[in-house]
Amino acid sequence: MNNAKMRLVVAPSVGVPLFLGAVAVGSFAVHVAVLTNTSWVTDFLSGNPLGSGDAVAAAQITPGMETANASYVLPLASGQQEVTVILPDGTLARAILQPNNVLASVNPVPLATD
Amino acid sequence: MTVDPDKVWPTGLNVREAEEVHSYLIDGTRVFGAIALLAHILVAVSTPWLG
Repeated sequence: MNNAKMRLVVAPSVGVPLFLGAVAVGSFAVHVAVLTNTSWVTDFLSGNPLGSGDAVAAAQITPGMETANASYVLPLASGQQEVTVILPDGTLARAILQPNNVLASVNPVPLATD
Repeated sequence: MTVDPDKVWPTGLNVREAEEVHSYLIDGTRVFGAIALLAHILVAVSTPWLG
């Protein structure tokens, strides 16, 4: 049988537990990864419809939130940026973003001393 | 290279015994794999797993 001769140099009392342990650790790690990266296992174990947990979590994060339909950014000649947002009700809102003002106190000039 | 089938190796087994032990392990692996394959097919059908 293929690879059977490994039992001549590795005792089955060592090789078999090593093999079964590797299978156990590997499959446990994969299943933990699935549990920690998905939400539907929790839904299944809770008896809820699969995927309902995500909807509940999203509703808690942004309850009743309406998102803007679109927004545009227009650079102005003055260095400012004009942001136009089309709100969910169809009205427009504009905002002027001014570039950062660098304050003189940020990098104080060291005093010359004798 | 031919191996003396009656030679006792450091693990205390000869070739025939080693093949017997190994065959049980292979059989167990095949049964485990078949059950796991069936379980994974059922999970893939009945859950959002793998999209």
